[in-house]
Amino acid sequence: MEAPMIKISNLEKFYRTEEVETIALNKLSMEVATGEFVAIMGPSGCGKSTLLNILGMLDDPDAGSYIFNDIEVARFNERKRADLRKHNIGFVFQSFNLIDELTVFENVELPLIYTGVAASERVKRVEEVLDKMQIMHRRNHYPQQLSGGQQQRVAIARAVVNKPKLILADEPTGNLDSSNGNDVMELLTDLNEQGTTIIMVTHSEHDARYSHRIIRLLDGQTVMENIMV
Amino acid sequence: MLKNYLKTAWRNLINTKFYSALNIVGLTIGLAVGMLILIWVQDELSYDRFHTKADQIYKVNASIGTGASRLVWGGVPAPVAAFGLKEVPGIVTAVRVVTSYSYSVFRYQEKLLKEDYGKLSFVDDAFFTLFDFKLLKGNVKTPFPNDQSVIITESAAKKYFGDQDPMGKTILGDSKDPYTVSGVLADFPANSSIAGDMLFSMNLKRKEYDGKGYWKAMDADWGNYYTTTFLQVRPDASTKAIAAKLTEIHMKNQPGIKPTDGVFQLQPLKEMHLYNPDGSSAGIQIVKIFSIVAVLILLIACINYINLSTARSMLRSKEVSVRKIIGAERSQLFMQFIIETVLCFVVALLLAFGLIYAVMPVYNTISGKQMHFDLFNANVWQVIALTIIATLVASSIYPALLLSSFKPINALKGKISGAGNATFRKILVVCQFAFSVGLIIGTLIINRQLSYIHSIQLGYDKEHVFALPLRAMQDHYEAIRAELVTHPEIKGLSTGSSSVITSNGSTSDTDWDGKASDVSLLINPYDIDKDFMGLFKLKFVAGTGFTGIKSDTAHYILNETAVRLAGIKNPIGKRFKLHDLNGTIIGVVKDFHFASLKETIAPAIFSYRPTAWQLYVKTTGKDAPAAIKLVEKYWKQYNANFPYEYTFLDDAYNDMYKTEQHTATLFNIFAGIAVFISCLGLFGLATYTAQIKVKEIGIRKVLGASVANITAMLSRDFLVLVLIAIAIASPIAWYAMNKWLMDYAYRTELHWWLVAVAGAVAVVIAFATISFQAVKAALANPVKSLRSE
Repeated sequence: MEAPMIKISNLEKFYRTEEVETIALNKLSMEVATGEFVAIMGPSGCGKSTLLNILGMLDDPDAGSYIFNDIEVARFNERKRADLRKHNIGFVFQSFNLIDELTVFENVELPLIYTGVAASERVKRVEEVLDKMQIMHRRNHYPQQLSGGQQQRVAIARAVVNKPKLILADEPTGNLDSSNGNDVMELLTDLNEQGTTIIMVTHSEHDARYSHRIIRLLDGQTVMENIMV
Repeated sequence: MLKNYLKTAWRNLINTKFYSALNIVGLTIGLAVGMLILIWVQDELSYDRFHTKADQIYKVNASIGTGASRLVWGGVPAPVAAFGLKEVPGIVTAVRVVTSYSYSVFRYQEKLLKEDYGKLSFVDDAFFTLFDFKLLKGNVKTPFPNDQSVIITESAAKKYFGDQDPMGKTILGDSKDPYTVSGVLADFPANSSIAGDMLFSMNLKRKEYDGKGYWKAMDADWGNYYTTTFLQVRPDASTKAIAAKLTEIHMKNQPGIKPTDGVFQLQPLKEMHLYNPDGSSAGIQIVKIFSIVAVLILLIACINYINLSTARSMLRSKEVSVRKIIGAERSQLFMQFIIETVLCFVVALLLAFGLIYAVMPVYNTISGKQMHFDLFNANVWQVIALTIIATLVASSIYPALLLSSFKPINALKGKISGAGNATFRKILVVCQFAFSVGLIIGTLIINRQLSYIHSIQLGYDKEHVFALPLRAMQDHYEAIRAELVTHPEIKGLSTGSSSVITSNGSTSDTDWDGKASDVSLLINPYDIDKDFMGLFKLKFVAGTGFTGIKSDTAHYILNETAVRLAGIKNPIGKRFKLHDLNGTIIGVVKDFHFASLKETIAPAIFSYRPTAWQLYVKTTGKDAPAAIKLVEKYWKQYNANFPYEYTFLDDAYNDMYKTEQHTATLFNIFAGIAVFISCLGLFGLATYTAQIKVKEIGIRKVLGASVANITAMLSRDFLVLVLIAIAIASPIAWYAMNKWLMDYAYRTELHWWLVAVAGAVAVVIAFATISFQAVKAALANPVKSLRSE
């Protein structure tokens, strides 16, 4: 059997203030196979976002192991994590997080710039992905000039332009109405069908149904897994 | 990549117009003023350095007298050069420069042109080979083919001869003595201590001092310190040894003289402009002060930039984290922010260039200089490069490091550890205001000192007195005087060799009863008529003045300082010898300030001349034009060949403090600008604080806080910083200004309230700056601010 893309075991993460120590992740273990679409659900404060941040290598765990594509990354320093991240992972956020000073085209182009892709190649790839997301006609607009749904399309375009193996989505439909939300979920499903692994944090049972598997968290632990049929 | 950086930087600049404007205005003014000051400093430091042999050229000074009467004089006796060249091995060349007062006008054909005093000099032939002054026409080896030769500068040539070739043309000194132009010299550079319009052969001076008259022969006269002597010294020679050898030669050649009468010292040519002969500051202190002011102003501008950009970093944390998440490395972000700063600087720099070009004429007027801001000049680029690199490094690195260091996940959630850099910003604001308060204190003290100089009791009355040379009127003075005094517009007349506000020079060629063998007295001699003391209202502490009787020619009047330093008890009736003339002391005049107030009152001696060279006319403010007209009538009668020109002593006196006036004006302006730039930064920070506290203000208002409460809340933090700045700056500024005042023999007292005033000014300005934003924030509708949350 093929090794899982992600394998975490006994992952722990604490948040400390002067007096209180909060356990965000409590010896959490799970695996995600290449090509899977996984939804993570749970009430506020259950550790969903913390888990997503660690999976996205934006944060490091306090204890435990995180193997990504056969590489132990739990003890990587920031520079190594960043390097791994920019070549393998795309992010989609609830609040889109586009850069206001850049146009649609430039926002999508940015990851390619940071990975050192040549200018001519960049134009080709950005146009390709904008076309796919059906926002080519908005390429010279600034984020403020777009609707929420359009902004999220741009964000997804930006997330996939580098052809990442993994997309991490943090409540991607949270700021959208249901029609735009469904469009976004369709896009993610398409991407998944083309081979991209997707891990999505969501509050919405409706969105979760697009996934292959739902992992439910409570107090930093897995409480249930549903396999979708 | 670079294109992307520039694009983002430019859009950021445009999108945040308010902060960009604050940043750029602050930087523009800071850079422009910083560079203007540094151009001034560079100009001051460039004096006399353009000579190829500048490192080997020294000026000979003489330390004369003992104890309190000791002073270092910039002139030395004429024989120093000749003997030095002959007998001291380390000396390669010796050149003397002696200012000529022989003529005040020259005639060429129908053209009669005035030459200001000090523009004519006698020089030794080697002048043209020792220095790099360029002889455009004429022979460097034999610059003066005969004693009636003259070398004139290019602009003087233009003035007299227009476009004609000046070589071989003859001009008439005072319309009678012919001089033939034997050379044309390129104009003296503005940054040369040696300057003038016409140069005459030293032989001419030697003829004048042929030893037959009152003065000894030029090369035997060791008692008259009137030549500026330059030596070219072998690079390996010891200047101390050379000076000692010169002193030894002096002792040998002037019998009866003691070492205290004249110890020679060598001063490097390059220090001539900024240091007095005694090594004290003649400008170097101002150069240092201005350099510090330039650095402070640039620092203040940098601090503004750093404060505004780090304060606003919170607002950019989202952008930074997004960039990091999608793959930006820290170094890439660091570069991005550096480029933003560079862009801001480029805009500010271009504006600063424009500003400098625009204000240069005014700046030259205020500073009394002729400086050029020429972008094709390498020296200007030195200043620009120094300023830009230093300020750019100072203001770009910290914000860039801070911004690029954000942890993406925290930044995205707005969880930036603001505390750390808020403290840093506070420290910077304190620094900024400490600089400003320091400059305000400096300004107050400089202005007080200047008004003190103007109000000081000089010990004489110079009001409404104008002066002019008598010339041919000298022979008819008694008749002229008799007629002029009948006019009510003329309150009095007198003649003297020099006026009360300055002396012409000093001599150590003195002797008196009871003179101790180790005492030497350097004294300022005045030749005056019987009316001089009365006209200037000089007071006698003993004896009487001259009455005009024949025996007065053997009488002397001393000032208090002369009596004290000579150690003469009961001076009236005692013998005193000046040069070769023995006489009796008949009066002691109360001390008065006949030199700059930077110097203590020196000894002075008055000899009687029935009619001396300079005429002094006392009038009233109202009658002055009429009095001038009355005198002009006689001038036209006797001095038709000379233009009628006169000087009011009040103006001449003010001229002595021109440099101080310029300095003070510049300092006032610089201090004002420093405060203004500080306020720009404070204004920006206050705006920012009001912005980020919008929710807090809303909640407080809902809970019942008044506008005054809110204003106080927002202002308090800043005012505390300003108070800390005052506490830090006051002692430092106090100490520094005390040092500056030490330059003046007569100085204003430093009062604690000066600091209080400076502090109050800073607080008021700061409060006005902050409260505008604070009141605006306090007046805002809370419903609006809370709803936006």
